[in-house]
Amino acid sequence: MQQAINALLIGISNGFIYSLMALALVLVWRSTRVINFAQAGQAILSTYIAYEIVTRTDNFILAFIGGVLAGALVGAVVEILLMRTLFKHVSDGPVAALAPVIASLGLLGLIRSVIGMVWGNDQKPFFPPVSTNGFTFGSTTVPFSRMNLLIVLGAATVMIIFTLIFQKSNLGLALRAAAFQPEIARLAGIRVGAIRTTGWIFAGAAGAVAGILISPNDAITPYSLDSLLIFGFVAAVIGGLESLIGAVVGGLTLGIGLSFILTYIGTSLIFPATFVVLALALIIRPQGLFGSKAARNA
Amino acid sequence: MHSLRRLFLFIFSTLILLALSLKIEELRVYQGAQIAIYALGISSIVLLTGYSGQVSLGNGAFMAIGAYTAALTQIHWHLPLFFTFVVGTFSAALAGAILGGGAARLSGPYLAGATLALAVGLPTLANQFTILNGETGLDYTSGTPPTWFGESFTLYKWFFWIVLVNVMLMMFFVRNITSSRYGRTWKALRGNPVAAQLSGIQVGGSKVLAFTISAGVAGLAGSLLGMIGFVGPTGFGLGLSFALVTGAVLSGVTSLAGSMLGAVVLVAIPELASVIAHRLGDTERVTSNLPGLIMSTLLILTVLFTPNGPAEQIRKHKARKQ
Repeated sequence: MQQAINALLIGISNGFIYSLMALALVLVWRSTRVINFAQAGQAILSTYIAYEIVTRTDNFILAFIGGVLAGALVGAVVEILLMRTLFKHVSDGPVAALAPVIASLGLLGLIRSVIGMVWGNDQKPFFPPVSTNGFTFGSTTVPFSRMNLLIVLGAATVMIIFTLIFQKSNLGLALRAAAFQPEIARLAGIRVGAIRTTGWIFAGAAGAVAGILISPNDAITPYSLDSLLIFGFVAAVIGGLESLIGAVVGGLTLGIGLSFILTYIGTSLIFPATFVVLALALIIRPQGLFGSKAARNA
Repeated sequence: MHSLRRLFLFIFSTLILLALSLKIEELRVYQGAQIAIYALGISSIVLLTGYSGQVSLGNGAFMAIGAYTAALTQIHWHLPLFFTFVVGTFSAALAGAILGGGAARLSGPYLAGATLALAVGLPTLANQFTILNGETGLDYTSGTPPTWFGESFTLYKWFFWIVLVNVMLMMFFVRNITSSRYGRTWKALRGNPVAAQLSGIQVGGSKVLAFTISAGVAGLAGSLLGMIGFVGPTGFGLGLSFALVTGAVLSGVTSLAGSMLGAVVLVAIPELASVIAHRLGDTERVTSNLPGLIMSTLLILTVLFTPNGPAEQIRKHKARKQ
C-alpha cells in the first residue's frame, strides 16, 4: 500500500513536468503544424540561463523569471527567423513536407553545441531552491518533498494561466481560430502570422518552466532534457496533439504509469515501456484521448 | 542489357577502389571505409524517405541492432565474419518489418517522433542487459588479413576491402530494387497515395516492405561500422541517426549516387572542425562541440534554402538557363 502511494506521488510530480513539455509541443503543433524537436534545446537553453542567474545572484525566483522570459524570447526568435523563412521557401519535393521537422532537429543540435561551447559538456549542479527531503507523516517519509510540491504548484499555475488565456481572452480566441481555420481567421482580421509567433512564445515559456522545475532534482548537461522531449511527445500523442487538456491528461497518465512500472517491474524498463505506451497509443487511438471533437473546446 | 551494364560498372568501380586503397596512406584508407559505410547508411534513408516517402529519424537504431546482433553471433556462436553480416542485416530487417507494420499507419510527424523515440531509447538498453556489456560495448573484430596478402597489407586496408565489397554488393541490390517494380511502386505512393491505391498498389504492404529493406540496409551498415570501430551505445546513439539524416538531406534524399556526397561531407566535417578548433586554441569545449555545430548549421541551411538538396537546385538552375 505504502509502495503504491509512493509510486503515485512520484508519478504525479513527474507527470506534471511531462505535461508541461507536452503543452509546449501541442502549442507549437496547433499554431504551425510542426513537431518542434528543438523544444528540448530551447528548454535546456532557458535552464542554463536560469542556472547562470541562480549561481550569480543566488535568487531562485529571479532565475526562474529570467529563464522563462528567455524561453519565450527564444521561441519568438526561432519562429521568426527559422520557421517563417522555411515556409517562404516551401516547394514541393520529398523533403519539403519534412523540412520543418528536420530543421527543428538541426536546431536542437545547434543549441546543444552552442551550450557545450559556452558552458561545457560536463554536469552542472543545479541546486534546488527548497528542500528535496520528503515530507514525514508520523514515522513514514513519503518521496514527496517541498521541491515536488513546488513542481506541482508551478506546473498547475502555468496550466491555469494558459486555460484562462485560451478560454477567456480575445487572444485565446484568436489563437484557436488561427489554428483551426487560418484562412477564415485572416478574413476576420486576425493577424495569423503574429498569432503563430505568440503560440511559439507560449510554448517556449512552458518548455522553460518544465526544464527549470525538473533540473533541481539532477545535474544539467546539454543533453539532460532529451528524454523529457520523448516523454513530452508521448504524452502529447496520448492526449491527441491538438488538445491542451489532452496534453495535461497524457502527461499525468504517462508519469503515473511509468512510475508504477518502475516501482513494480524495474527501472531498466523505462524506455522500452515508454516506447510500448507510444505504440499502443498510436495503434489503439491514433487521434488521441482528446482528439477530434474535444480538441475544438480545449 | 541495361542491368548487365550496371553490374559491370559496379564491379569495375569496386576493383578500381580496391586497387586505389593500396596506393594511399593509412588514415585515408580508414576514412574511405567510413565514407562507404555512411553512404550505405544514407542510402537506407534515401530508399525510405526519397522513394517511399516515409521519414525515419531512427535508422541509427537499426544500425545498432545490426551491429549488436552481428557481434553477439561472432562472440557466442563463432560464426564466420560474412555470416555475422548476414545475421546483422536480417535481424535489423526483422526489427524494421515489425516497426514498419506500425509505421505504415502513421503520418509524417507521428512517424518522425516515434522513430526519434527509438533512436533515443534503444541505446539505453545496452546498460540494462549484461549480455550487451554496458558502456564498454562488445568486441567485434574482422580478424587479421590473410597472410598471403603480404606484410604491407595492413588491418585498415583489410577493413576497407571487406567494407567496400559488402557496401558495393548492397548498393547494387538497392540500386536494382529502386529501379524495379517496387521502386516505381514506392515513388507512386510518395507522389499520390490515393492514386497509387486506385491503380492497385497495396499501400500498407509496400510501405512495410520499404521499411524492412531500409532497416536491413542500415543493419549491414551498422555491422560494418561496428567492425571498424566498436560496438557500444555511444557510437550508435542519437548522434548517428542525426548524422544519417544530415547526410541524406545534404545529398538530396532522392538520389542514391548523392549518398556518396553526403557521406564524404560527414567524414570531412570532423577534419574541418579540428582544423578550425586548432586555430581557435584547441580548448576542450570547442573541439568537442564544433563538429556538431558545423553539422547542424549545414543541416539547417540546406533545409532552408535547398530543401531537395544542393544537387537538385543546380539541376533546376541549369534547366532554367536552357
